[in-house]
Amino acid sequence: MTLFRSMAIRMALVYILLIFGFGYVSSVLYSVQISRHDELFEKAQNTYTTRIETHGTRGEIFDFGGSLLVGNIPTMDIIGDPANIYILNKKDDAKTETECRLIADFFEKECENVKSDEIFRRLSRRTVTTTTADGEKKEQDCHYAVIATGVEYKTAKMLKEKVKELSFHGISFTSSYRRKYPKDAMLANILGLTNVSYDTFVPIQGIERSLNDAMTATSGSMVYERARNGSHVTFANSKSEPTLDGYDIFLTIREPLQAIVEEELDLMCERVKPHAAWAVLVDPSTGDILAAAQRPTFNPNDRSTMTAESSANRLSELALEPGSIMKPFVISYALDKGFVTPNSIVDCEQGVWKYAGRLLHDTHNVGKVPVTEVIKQSSNIGTAKVSVMMGAKNLDTALRSFGFGQKTGIQLKPETSGIFRPLEKWDSLSVSRFCIGQGIAVSPLQLARAYCMIANGGYKVNLRLVDRIERGDDVRVMPVVKEQKSIFANPTTKKMITDMMIGVTEAGGTCTEAAIEGFHVAGKTGTAQKVINGAYSNRYYASFVGFVPAEDPKFVLLVTCDDPTLGSRYGGSASGPTFKAIAERTLKYMHVQPQLSREEWLAERSAAQKALHERKVREDALVQARREERDRQLKAQKAKETAKKSGTTVASRPASNSKTSTIRR
Amino acid sequence: MNQFTKKTNPSEDGAGTGRTQTPWVAGLIFKMALIMSIIFTAFYARVHLNDKTEQLAREANEIRKQIEEKQKEIKMKEFELAQLKSWDNINAKIRQHKLALHAVNPSQVRYMKRFEGQTAAPSVYGGDTRVADTAAGSKQTSAGEIQ
Repeated sequence: MTLFRSMAIRMALVYILLIFGFGYVSSVLYSVQISRHDELFEKAQNTYTTRIETHGTRGEIFDFGGSLLVGNIPTMDIIGDPANIYILNKKDDAKTETECRLIADFFEKECENVKSDEIFRRLSRRTVTTTTADGEKKEQDCHYAVIATGVEYKTAKMLKEKVKELSFHGISFTSSYRRKYPKDAMLANILGLTNVSYDTFVPIQGIERSLNDAMTATSGSMVYERARNGSHVTFANSKSEPTLDGYDIFLTIREPLQAIVEEELDLMCERVKPHAAWAVLVDPSTGDILAAAQRPTFNPNDRSTMTAESSANRLSELALEPGSIMKPFVISYALDKGFVTPNSIVDCEQGVWKYAGRLLHDTHNVGKVPVTEVIKQSSNIGTAKVSVMMGAKNLDTALRSFGFGQKTGIQLKPETSGIFRPLEKWDSLSVSRFCIGQGIAVSPLQLARAYCMIANGGYKVNLRLVDRIERGDDVRVMPVVKEQKSIFANPTTKKMITDMMIGVTEAGGTCTEAAIEGFHVAGKTGTAQKVINGAYSNRYYASFVGFVPAEDPKFVLLVTCDDPTLGSRYGGSASGPTFKAIAERTLKYMHVQPQLSREEWLAERSAAQKALHERKVREDALVQARREERDRQLKAQKAKETAKKSGTTVASRPASNSKTSTIRR
Repeated sequence: MNQFTKKTNPSEDGAGTGRTQTPWVAGLIFKMALIMSIIFTAFYARVHLNDKTEQLAREANEIRKQIEEKQKEIKMKEFELAQLKSWDNINAKIRQHKLALHAVNPSQVRYMKRFEGQTAAPSVYGGDTRVADTAAGSKQTSAGEIQ
């Protein structure tokens, strides 16, 4: 009986233990399978899955014809694993220091800009102290020490072979890309540059910055189950997101034309030694920028050449008072609206005119001349008088219709919209100064666009620097943005203003240096005083802008010298010859047939010379007649006074009206 | 009595003796062996297939690496080509070899008609011969031929 009871108790205990055991196991199972399922599943998954990130390459930049301007070149970074560095077949701590020194010396010999001592210091640091989240300091093996970065691919490949031959262990080579500029300084200020931060390109300026979003590659990833040796188990599950390379950018720049402009700009810099200089070549029908160069510049492959001055993008960021190159806009508007005709006579006051209490001067004395001569001889007074005749409101409309005060639409940031006060903020002097390019600031690109409008018959066109972006078969063309309606209401306005501008490069014009054999060149000079600390200085912007052939322009070219220090400071003499050189070479490159044969061209030139000579003779005669008239008047007055004194009366002859005689002539 | 009835008779078949159970056990063993062999074959086939896949994946990886290497080499060559094509380099060569080169006279150039009624003025010279459709991508016409 007793035996039976004790057995029953034992059995009950066993049952109880079993029940508890089962309960415990069930609760653990519940916890593992249900409560902590996600956490533990992730933990388990992490032990046998790997996630790798794949990076695409940044888009490259090409010229219109596909010539590489900015590219990615493959490079390699050499990384050491200090905790596992050894030579030959076994790790021997006693020899570690000697081996690190050997490796460091090897890399100093083979790589550029690598110092043996520095590498030795990095490789010898076998442990690193890390601080955990709860502040505990911990010693860990160091597995990462940079030996060299951006090593050229060829060199790195050779080094890899050597490292293998010499049995250096703990050295790895990782692939990377580097931004390189095969044309060095060409177009550097426009293209811009990038820095690298943790394997990511950081755009600094230029196209690299403006179109960074398009050029940036989209990173992808791959999650896969790995084998014991870390290799990809192909038959297991894997998930991947595709990597997308950045878009390649195709500019409107034509590399051969760019080379011509850069070369001629360098020659100009040697000739006149300016503080800065720039030139921009634009297709007036589409607004395509064919070439754009500026000095000083820098070589993006050699950052030591980079300064604030040399890296500035003056074409889109600089706002300057343009001077006389503003005149054709005012005159063309006045012609278009019928305020004047090319033959309307304007009195240029022999070089000095007082308006709104301030004197306005011309660089050379001009009398009463037709409007054509106002442009040809670049008379400030003549233009100001036309502007005053038009009134402030019309002047404001004229300049705004040519796009001043607005951005040009170019895909380049930042871009200035210049300084052009709204009409209500104009003072009494503004109407006589804005028209001659004073008190208004514009960017070189705004000027180039405004001249495109004259050249294409008054159609406002946005400037284009990017022609298209491409990624494989995905090609996106940047459309030409051109207004359908001309700003000129009169269809003859373009011809009238062009004829006046042709006069600038003919005998008697302000820039005969820009004339090109066989072509009519329409252009305008500009010599603007620089504003320094709020006052006009003795430094100048000397510019010449024009288009060729005048009747059917293939391009608009603007050349500006900022403060020429050698030779003449005038736009015609400083920038004119460079305009001619660039235009001549560009016309040949574009295979533009001359409009006139050599004989015809020379005949035209000599006819213009003859006409000028005749006009000068007439003007001299007029001056002589005036002088004689004045002398006669003085004599008559003296005689009158003498007669008064002597009591006799002498009838004086009336003086002829000089104005009438001018008109008669 | 037919054959079937005869066979089902235990006394005639020798039921109860070891001799009468042999075909049944053999059948079972045969069936199990068959099932096992099918399982084994399937398992072996899977392992073999996986092995083959792995091997192919390794080869593909090797080839991918080689392609990457080649692409890198192509990139380097493209870069070198761009450097060689730069005007600075060409100019230096012209000077070095004292070549009496000069720009072509426009009168020496003639354009060929490429299609009916179309003169192929190369777009790089300023004329725009592009056929662009911004909405659905675009196609570019090649530069015109020059005689």
